[in-house]
Amino acid sequence: MTLLIAICVAVIFGVSIYLLLGRELKGMAMGLFLLSHGANLGILAMSGQPLRVVEEKTVLLGPPILTQASIPVDPLPQALILTAIVISFAVTAFLLTLLVATYRRVNHLAADELANDDRPTVLTTL
Amino acid sequence: MDGSNWIVLLIVVPMFSAILTTMLRGWAPAQRFITVVSLIACVALAIGGLASLGSNGVIVSQAGQWPAPFGISIVFDQLSGLLLAAASFVALCVYVYGLTSKEQEVGRGWYHPLFMLLMMGVNFSFLTGDIFNLFVAFEIMLMASYAMMCLGGGKQQLSQCYKYVMINLVGSTFFVLGAALIYGMTGTLNYADLAVCVAQSTMPGGTPLPSAFGAVAMMLLFVFAVKAALFPLWFWLPDTYHTCSITVAALFAGLLTKVGIYSLVRLSPMALAAPNIRGDGAFATILPFAAGLTMILGGLAALSMRETRRVLAMLLISHIGYMAFGLAIMTPTSLSGTVFYMIQHMLVMAALFLACGLIERYQRSSDLAETGGLYRQAPWLSVFFFVAMISLIGLPPFSGFFGKFLLLKEGFRLSSQGYWLLSALGLCTGFLTLLALGRVWIRTFWGPEHREGVAERIENVSDRIAVAPMYVGLAMLVIGSLTLGLGAEFFQGRTSDATAELNEPRSYVAAVLGPGAWPEIVAKGDESTSIKVANTHGGDH
Repeated sequence: MTLLIAICVAVIFGVSIYLLLGRELKGMAMGLFLLSHGANLGILAMSGQPLRVVEEKTVLLGPPILTQASIPVDPLPQALILTAIVISFAVTAFLLTLLVATYRRVNHLAADELANDDRPTVLTTL
Repeated sequence: MDGSNWIVLLIVVPMFSAILTTMLRGWAPAQRFITVVSLIACVALAIGGLASLGSNGVIVSQAGQWPAPFGISIVFDQLSGLLLAAASFVALCVYVYGLTSKEQEVGRGWYHPLFMLLMMGVNFSFLTGDIFNLFVAFEIMLMASYAMMCLGGGKQQLSQCYKYVMINLVGSTFFVLGAALIYGMTGTLNYADLAVCVAQSTMPGGTPLPSAFGAVAMMLLFVFAVKAALFPLWFWLPDTYHTCSITVAALFAGLLTKVGIYSLVRLSPMALAAPNIRGDGAFATILPFAAGLTMILGGLAALSMRETRRVLAMLLISHIGYMAFGLAIMTPTSLSGTVFYMIQHMLVMAALFLACGLIERYQRSSDLAETGGLYRQAPWLSVFFFVAMISLIGLPPFSGFFGKFLLLKEGFRLSSQGYWLLSALGLCTGFLTLLALGRVWIRTFWGPEHREGVAERIENVSDRIAVAPMYVGLAMLVIGSLTLGLGAEFFQGRTSDATAELNEPRSYVAAVLGPGAWPEIVAKGDESTSIKVANTHGGDH
């Protein structure tokens, strides 16, 4: 299970880094959203695995309330994920607002053209 | 423990004033009044708390009376107290400076709530006692700073804000992942509990700490280095500080990067880079390089810039290198130097940025090719700028000298470990700072007034009233940094109290987890040590 989550996180991070390296602001924003999902999935893996060795057999434990599993899954990482989701939700909303504001102002969302406008001027003579 | 809950006020007061000022948008005088009063309250609370602490005192408030590793600990010790007092004071000065500035109207009343939200985040990160809440505090601070950065909504501001949001969001993602991995390895997020785990090199069950802990520590180092703008990760800073309004830039320059450094000062000696983890050597190898390169390259970059604001932004980065230098050595003395330097850097950098704002107001530009003759125009501004400049360069009676002296001396003392090189780079950076700021001084304050007619003389009464708060804010900061320099003996006593136990946080752990929680290490034989656990959750070891 942990391996499965690890592979998922790796794939999500890969995709999001690919998006982040693009030259278009919308894609970069999508990359950021994906990145935070990947991180949340990573936190989920920290709550331990539902697969455990019970009486020399590997069994899949159900949710602790349904089955009378003696070793419940640690709930704290899930609380952490909730907080992290709320925060990334707020940042997502801000970033999308910023995208709309930028688009209204300059009518495009290309990172290169935005960056061209503010190169620092370097001193050539004292 | 009951009488200690007042420290939460340092978070609650800014929060409520942010809420109140949000509701009072459109009624600027009330917003200003509330903000000033709550900033003064923060300064008073921090100083009062410091005064009530003994030399090793720690005030702990456990949220909801949950005992420490399970609940949320809010911890006020010397280190947090000093930085809280300095940060609130800087914020107060910057706010007073900005009382009459234009961006308050541009932001349609949002400037004040955002300012207080930022302060809430900053105070929270200084006070919190666990890693996940540090993440939350960072996010509060960063959300406010994102919004402050694009107040006004110019094209450049929006694109720079995008860059700033991007880099910080990537940093935050790694932060939350790092916190989760630490939880996965040690089963705790509480600083004190983590310090105990690391000191024993075991997880609570008794199994040894996995060597991957070092990798997670590097992940958090990356995160804090992004926030603090250390060498390879500084690229976002100069442009963002260039485009936003000057009060916002001064506030960011004073506070934001220091929060990153604070987190490193708090966490690396006790957990992330503790001796038994440092075995891998990654922290001890990377930090000196980052510190040295930040110092010297920042100084060189400052020399190549032609606008005062960009010069200041590069110098800001360069002098963060000094703080990383103290962190790299990681002895109590060097950490004390780092903390002293942080406080002086907050005051001086904010003062220089505010002075730059006045330069821009008088000369309509801070481009070194277009300014000149300001000494005749505004003698008091020249005096303040000069004092702040000399403090940053680090000449003896001023505050910068004492921080640098501690750091450089410690570097030369440990020269057998190669730290003399860092000290030498630190001296060179002093010279580079002198060159860069000396050039600003010559081009801006001396010489003829370039471009006749552009330079504006403040003569009529309404302009004088508009400029008065700016001078008050600037003067308060400069007087603050002078006090820090002249009372250096007193302040260094406080900073060395604050950092004396960072490497082995006995009283911190005792205050948070209860007495006897810190494992006393009994030396056995020459190299090996055995650990006697007085009272832990893990059982015998």
